[in-house]
Formats: sequence, structure tokens, C-alpha cells
Amino acid sequence: MSVAFTNVVKRYGSVIAVSGISFTVQAGTLVTLLGPSGCGKTTTLRMIAGLELPSEGRVEIAGRDVSTLPATQRDVSMVFQSYALFPHMSVLENVAYGLRRSGLARKDATRMANAGLAQVGLENYGQRQPSELSGGQQQRVAVARALVLKPSVLLFDEPLSNLDARLRRQMREEIRELQQRLGLTVVYVTHDQQEAMAVSDRIIVMNAGRIEQQGVPRDLYERPATPFLARFMGESNPARGHVRRLDPQRVRVQLGHAQIDIENTTALDGEATVAVRPEAIVVERVPGPTDALTGTVARASYLGTHMEYSIDTEAGALFATCPRVDRPLASGDKVALILAPRGVIVVES
Amino acid sequence: MNVRAPLVWSAAGLLAAALLPWYALEDGLASGDWLSGLWSSKDYASGVAQAIEHGRWWLAPALLVLVACLVVSFAPLAQRRRGALLVATSCIGLVLFGAQAFAIGLRGWSAGWLVSLFGEMDGQQIGIGAGGALVLVTFLALLSIGLALRGAFGGDTFVAGAVTTVAASILLFTAWPILHILVQAFQNADGAFRPQLMIERLAEAKIWSLRCLIGRGGCGVAWNTLFLALCCGAGSTALGLAFALVATRTAFRFKRTLRVLTVLPIITPPFVIGLALILVFGRSGLVNHFLEWTLAIPPTRWIYGFPGVLLAQLFAFTPVAFLVLIGVVEGVSPTFEEASQTLRADRWATFTTVSLPLMLPGLANAFLVGFIESIADFGNPIVLGGDFGVLSTEIYFAVVGAQLDYGRAAALALLLLALALGAFWLQRRLVGRRSYATISGKGDSGLPTPLPDAARRAAQWIALPWAAFTLLLYAFTFAGGLVKVWGRDYTPTLAHYVKAFSIERSAEGLIWSGAAWNSFWTTVKLAAIAAPLTAALGLVTAWLVVRQRFVGRATLEFATMLSFAVPGTVIGVAYVFAFNVPPFEITGTALIIVLCFVFRNMPVGVRAGMAAMSQIDGSLDEASATLRAGAPQTLFYVVMPLLRPAVVGALVYGFVRAVTTVSAVVFLVTAEYDLATTYIILRVINGDYGLAIAYSCALIALMLAAILLIQFLVGDRRLGRRSMLQQRGRT
Repeated sequence: MSVAFTNVVKRYGSVIAVSGISFTVQAGTLVTLLGPSGCGKTTTLRMIAGLELPSEGRVEIAGRDVSTLPATQRDVSMVFQSYALFPHMSVLENVAYGLRRSGLARKDATRMANAGLAQVGLENYGQRQPSELSGGQQQRVAVARALVLKPSVLLFDEPLSNLDARLRRQMREEIRELQQRLGLTVVYVTHDQQEAMAVSDRIIVMNAGRIEQQGVPRDLYERPATPFLARFMGESNPARGHVRRLDPQRVRVQLGHAQIDIENTTALDGEATVAVRPEAIVVERVPGPTDALTGTVARASYLGTHMEYSIDTEAGALFATCPRVDRPLASGDKVALILAPRGVIVVES
Repeated sequence: MNVRAPLVWSAAGLLAAALLPWYALEDGLASGDWLSGLWSSKDYASGVAQAIEHGRWWLAPALLVLVACLVVSFAPLAQRRRGALLVATSCIGLVLFGAQAFAIGLRGWSAGWLVSLFGEMDGQQIGIGAGGALVLVTFLALLSIGLALRGAFGGDTFVAGAVTTVAASILLFTAWPILHILVQAFQNADGAFRPQLMIERLAEAKIWSLRCLIGRGGCGVAWNTLFLALCCGAGSTALGLAFALVATRTAFRFKRTLRVLTVLPIITPPFVIGLALILVFGRSGLVNHFLEWTLAIPPTRWIYGFPGVLLAQLFAFTPVAFLVLIGVVEGVSPTFEEASQTLRADRWATFTTVSLPLMLPGLANAFLVGFIESIADFGNPIVLGGDFGVLSTEIYFAVVGAQLDYGRAAALALLLLALALGAFWLQRRLVGRRSYATISGKGDSGLPTPLPDAARRAAQWIALPWAAFTLLLYAFTFAGGLVKVWGRDYTPTLAHYVKAFSIERSAEGLIWSGAAWNSFWTTVKLAAIAAPLTAALGLVTAWLVVRQRFVGRATLEFATMLSFAVPGTVIGVAYVFAFNVPPFEITGTALIIVLCFVFRNMPVGVRAGMAAMSQIDGSLDEASATLRAGAPQTLFYVVMPLLRPAVVGALVYGFVRAVTTVSAVVFLVTAEYDLATTYIILRVINGDYGLAIAYSCALIALMLAAILLIQFLVGDRRLGRRSMLQQRGRT
């Protein structure tokens, strides 16, 4: 079932947490609200849940206006950052809680709760206390507890932030798999850009209470609309360059001596802020190709899988990652940089 | 729910108006005599009958508004509109109800200006009874439903009802009585307004005299009270700090035993220490006897007066300061002390420049507690004071003694209240929110720094003898109940217990013939009624303040905080003034005693509940809400089970304080409803120490039993090992 926000504003006294946002979440898709802390993404999620009511605007779930409906009466469930498993109830009681409160008999609630636990692979854990489970298992209980109510929309508030890195990858795959298998409509909040790209059908990037950009993950990464987005979606080097249009589809970007032709339909001729992805910079010893950007290595770090270099160039200091670890460069080395067109983005003309 | 609730309430209100006696009954509802006179009898008639049959026309408007409420509940209206109409009608109803209730009293119009405005009137009415009270409750319920329908309180009827209940009861049973003191202080004996009288009353030499400074006679009671309270606050804070340091920062082996001390004042009626001091230092006490026997020094009476009262209060309230300061000392994060030591500060410098300043807000709190406990104390000054009068005893004699001067009592109570609130205000002003709550939850893994040797030795030399002496006093108290006449005849005997608690077997069954049984059972019964009410009201208020967002939340919190600072004597006097006249005429009943218990002790329940609730992550409540549980279900299934320790605490406190309190109820007891503490105090005043001590020991035993029973009934909170970590997970 779809979720739709129309010009929603949330104020706390004089502080504006969310200032007039509109978006739609299509049924059966996973949409992520992504942004730095304090950007209003959690407030937005809580307005979908009904834990906060909007100060202005309209919130619709499945085509119905629910703007003034409290959480209890909305057909929505939520998985909390802290999981919020009731510590005085067993795992089974936790999962059956929502069913019991919806008026189901104990027997039916227990049966459905067991089925819910089976769905997340925790069949035999019903009688345990939440505190006896590992972090990942607690996470699954929280998901099962939300799922058994068969909500129109399932909400996740930074669900993986309390897990270690390895478990985080496994859980996000499980969540994505479950969502696709059951065709759930999911709204997911995170501040981790990689996590967002891994699980989402669409991403809504928020900043300072507004929507910065929304779209499919690839678009956001390859065509960020603002300097903020270029910085926030993956790493990027801000640089000043010169733009000249070649034809309606392409522009030529001049960074120092280097010239890169990239696809672009909007940029105007003249000075521009350009974002350069560190993985799109190929670092070679001098002399490189003639149109390369030259510079000096300021710092070099070995990270096992790749090298990281800070390089002073005529277009400013650039940060580059280099998969070749067998012949590393040292600081002070003169280098030539070749910029791959897919990693050069004009963000502001 | 949205449609049914107002309907049910309106109907209930109308039924109460038609089928229950409007006014209070002489012999209570239980007898059932009123059923036959519901229409015909002038005393028993229901509200409707009073208005139609017995010429009390002034009841009619409020009852008609009730009908209007029913119509509004029935009418096909949009939700918000129905809400707005309900708010309007119920407010009109409340105003009409209040107007008639306050305007017409026992002798017609209740105020002079009403007589001059409307002329004499021959109608009159007494305090409201079941019918009137229920109609009042109905209006309040409809008001909260109306507000919830209009979207206030998150649209939740339950929350709206809870807020209205708490606010209305605090207004009626705390604010309203205290307002009465103010009014009374300005009135003469006939109820006329005389501002200059208030000034006269407060300007008396007996209150403000400073003769003691020049060595001629005693000082005024105000100075006495203030000086005693300052000494008690400073002394108990210093002693309490010594105890807390010994218990938490030294290698002292019997720390756990030391903590037992903190339980003692909770289960001891406050004057028991005074009694024990008399046994040791009194005219015929052990010390005087010993001195007379060995050195032939004639017995002195130094204990009766300021030294005795101060000593008794220090013994009684030091454990309270200890309790406060344990938390404070433990709350100082070892990380700061370790940081200080790595910055070249030695242990002494660390203690004086880091640890002590961090404890300062806590020390101020402990001082305030000692100060307020001292000015509110009634038992010790009356037992040990002699000629040394303080405000609380002076108020007592003004109301109960031969003076019977309510105006003077009110003026003195006002002074006492001003002292308490002044201290409270000063503390908030100085300490404010500058609490260095240093338990951060971010892995405090450091070790507390041991005390510097000088501080450790000082703390131990102060705390340990004092602790030993406290225990000795309790031992003497216990022994005092087991000898014939202390000071003259130390023959062991159970006579005092027999006199107090004998049970005889006769043909008609058991006869509770002991002198104490009557007051004992009354105490147990009323305390057992009050305790659950106290706990429920306190915890619900805490829940509202911590977890709900609504207009006036801060005011509600402040009101409960404030009632914490009002001394018991003031509350007692205020209740006498406010509730011996219509419309709320309950002086002399058990109800007023229960209400006094509840509203005296509720603030502690609120504090305990707030502290406990702030440790439970709010996302648990929210999870429950998104899982289809309404506010009452969340409260019942999630919040209360997690709050079990606080529930136990509030129940225990509600019960124990009801049993041990003296200052407030000493004004409210009657021959029919006598309480254990007031009974004992009277025995002490009459010099019957044996019985008083035996009875006190029995009370202490009763309270220990009650604590165990409550703990057993409520049970433990069922949590896994790591649960506390998860509850904080969100932060």
C-alpha cells in the first residue's frame, strides 16, 4: 500500500524539523530516507507511524488521509533502532503482543506469532528472554513482531546501527530478501549511504528538513544534483574547474591541464564546482599522458585492499583510492592523474 | 468509544442526580435507610427531588446542563463539533455547580455581599454527598472527553481523563486547602475580612522576640524554628556525608550493616528517637541516674529544649541525608577523579577540587531535606521541647489547645509555609538544574579513588560512633517496653504489651480488650486504603509528566514538586479549615484522613515514578503504540510491569508514611477515628512511656511485615541479565 506526503511541515515550538516535504512511496517498494543526523528523516518516519502528528500538510496511507490518526489506529508497524523488545516478556510474548492487543485470542495469537518467528528463522527461540539473544537475533524478533500484524507499511528506524559491520551486511540482505519475497511496502531510515544503496528501490535524501533529491540509487550516485549530495552520496573531491559545452549531450571540463568530456545536459559555460570521485582517479608515475593532471603525493596510506593518496594538484588537493597495492607511491612522488569521465560530476555552474 | 463514552457518562450523571442522595448523610450510604426517603425526605432526597420537591431550586440549572450534555452526546455531529459542544456545556455545568455550592451554605447566602445583593434567603444546604459528588465527577469526565474529541492530549480520552483527574484532585486537595489558610489568616472569628488582624497576628512578640540573645527568656518561635532547622540541615548533611563516604569510598568491612541504618527512619515514627533520648538522658534516664549514683550530681533537665530536639532530629534525619548522599557520592564518575590524578593532583587535591565540588548540588539537596524535615517535625518538639516552642507545636496549641484561635493558627501556618517554600526556592535558585548527573551510560570503567587518609579518618570517627549510638538508642527503646517503670523499677515485664494488645476469650468470641487495638486497626485500615491510591495517583502522574506531551505539563510537574515542600502541620491545619464547611464537609470522617495520607505522600510516588521511568527507553512505549495498544493498555502491559520496583517503593512508602505520620493527622483524628501515632503522642504527654514504647515497637514490627508482604505480592521485575543495557540502547 502506498504512502504519500503532501507539503508536510513539523514544528517543535519555533524549531522547524521538517519544512514542507512531499513524496510518494509506491506499494511493494523499499524506499530509504537518507541524510545526516538532525536532517528530519526520523521525524518523517515517525509521522508515517503516527508517533508524531504533522503541524501542516497531509499524510496518506493506502489512499486514506491519516494526518490526525494516532499510531495505535494506523495500519503501520515499526522496527526501532533499539529494537524496543519488551524486556519483561518472552520472545513469543513480544511477537504476540500486537496480535493480542488487536483482539486475537491467545491461541490464535500464539500460532501466528510462531509462524512469524519461523519466517525470520527463529522457530525454537519463543521461550527465551530477549536479553538471551544475540544482537542479530533480537533484530529478527523485532522484525517478526512488526511483520505478524501484516501492516500496510513497515517502517525501519536505523535498524542496523547497533550491529557490527559483518552482521550489518547479512541483516540488510535478509531484510531486502524478506521485503521482496513478501512484496512489502517498506520505509527505511538510515544515515549510511552504502546501506541505503544496497537495500533500496528508491532513495530520498534529506538535509536540514528538506528533500535534497530523490531517485534510484544509481542516479543519485552518478548524477547528484547538489554539492551536498555529491559529498554525502559516497566520497568526492570538490574542485574548481571550467566548463564548456560541446553539444547538447556533452560538456568539456577543464581541471588544471586536464580536459575531460562528460555527459551533461544542464551545465552552463564558465567556472563551476566539480566533484571528483576518488575511485575514478587513476594515479600514474610521471610522465603520464599529455592531458593528465599533475601533482605531488602528500600522504600515502596502505589499507590492505587498496591505497589511499592525498595529492596536491593545480586544481586543489585531491583524495584518490588506487587498487594497485603492489607498487605503492611514497609521499613526495610526482604523479600524473587520469580522471575517468564517469567519476567527474559538475555540481554547480 | 468516541460516541459511547460521553453517552455513558451523561447517563451515569443523570442517574446519580435522580437516584442517589444529593447531600452528605449523617450515617453514611451503607445503612441503606436513605432508599425510602429518596424523594420525600429533606435529608435523603436526590438532586432532582431536592430541586423540585424541597425548594432547592438552585440545583436545577446544573441538572439541566447535564440533560444538555446527554443531548449533545446523542446528536449526530462531527467529532470536533461534538467535542467543542461537550467542552462548552460541561464548563457551564461546572460553573453553575460551583456557584450554587459556594454561594449557599449552612445559613443561606454564605457571604455578606451576596445578602446585600439578593436579600436574605431562607434556603440552606450542607456538604454534598454521593449524588452531588458523582455529578461533579461527571462534568469533569465530560470535559476531558470533549477536550480529547477536539484533538487535545493526542486525541486520547484516557490521557485526557488522567490529566483532568490529577489536576482536579491536586487543585481540590492541595491548592484549595492552602488557599483557605491564606483566607483564614485575614479573617476575624466571625469571618469578616480584616487585613490589619493578619499583621497583628504575625507581629506578636511570641513569634519574633530575640530575648534569648541577651539571656532573658526564650526567643520567638519563628527564630527557634529557623535556627533549629539550619542546625539540623547542616548537621544531618555533614553526618550523612561522613556515612556516605564510609559506605562507598573506604574499605570498611560492615558497609552493608551501615546501610540498614537507612531503613530505620522509614519504618520509625519520628518521635521514637525523642522517646529513646528521654530514656537515656531524661530526668530519670540512665545517664542522670548514673551520675547521681556515682558522683552525686543532681539530675538535670537539659535534654528538654533546644539541645534535645536538635539531637533527636539529627538522629532521626541523618539516615535520610545518608540515603540522599549515597546516590550523590556514587554518582560522581570515577573517570573524573582518575583524570584529575593523571593531571598531577594527589588524592587530597582530587577530593577537594574535583569530588567535593561535583557533590555540591547533592549536598545542597540533602541540606534542604534536613531543613524541611526539621521545620515540619512535630513529634520530637512536642515530646522533648518543653518551653522551647517551634511553629508546628505552636500551631497545634492554637488549634487544639485552650486558645482555639484559628486565625492565629492560620497566620503561623502561613509563616511555616513561607519558610518551607523559601528554602525550596532558594535551593532551586542556587543549585537549579546544575546537577552534575555524572552517570553517563558511556562505559564508566574507572575505579573510585580511595579517600585521602585525613578525610577517611574523620569520616570514620564521626560516622561509626554515631551509628553505634543510633543502634543503641533503638535497643533502649526496645528494652524500655519490657521493664515496669523506666528509671524506677527495672523489673522485666510484658505488662505494657498486655495492656495495649490483650485479647480476651469470652462467650461471644474474642474481645480485643487492649487499649491500643482501636487506634491500631483504624491505622492499618486507613493506611491500607491510602497506600494503593497514593501509589496509583503518584505513578500515573509521573507517567503523564514524563511520557505525555500536553499543555500545562510543566505546571503540573511544578505543582507536585511544590506540594512536596509543604509541611505536614500546614496541610493538617489547611484540611481542617477547608473541609469543615460545605460544599466539601468531611471533617471528622475517615475520608479526610485517607485523603490527607494520599496527597501528603503522593509527591514521593511521583518522584520515584519519574526517576524510574526516565531509565526506561521511551521507544518501548512507542513500540507498544505501533503494535495497536492504546495508552491504557501500554500503561498496564508495558510500563507498570517494568516499574515494579517503583510500584513497590510507592506502595511501601504510601503505607509506612501513613502509619508513621503525626504532624498532619494530629488535627484530623477524632475519638472514632484515632490513629496509632496520635494515640502514642498523647500517652507520652501523659507520661505513660511504657505503653507508648511498647506500642511503637509493635508499629515498627507491623511495618516490617507490611514491607515484606507488599514485596511478596507485587513480586520482582522479570528481566534478563543484560536488559538494562538494552533499555539504554537508544541513546
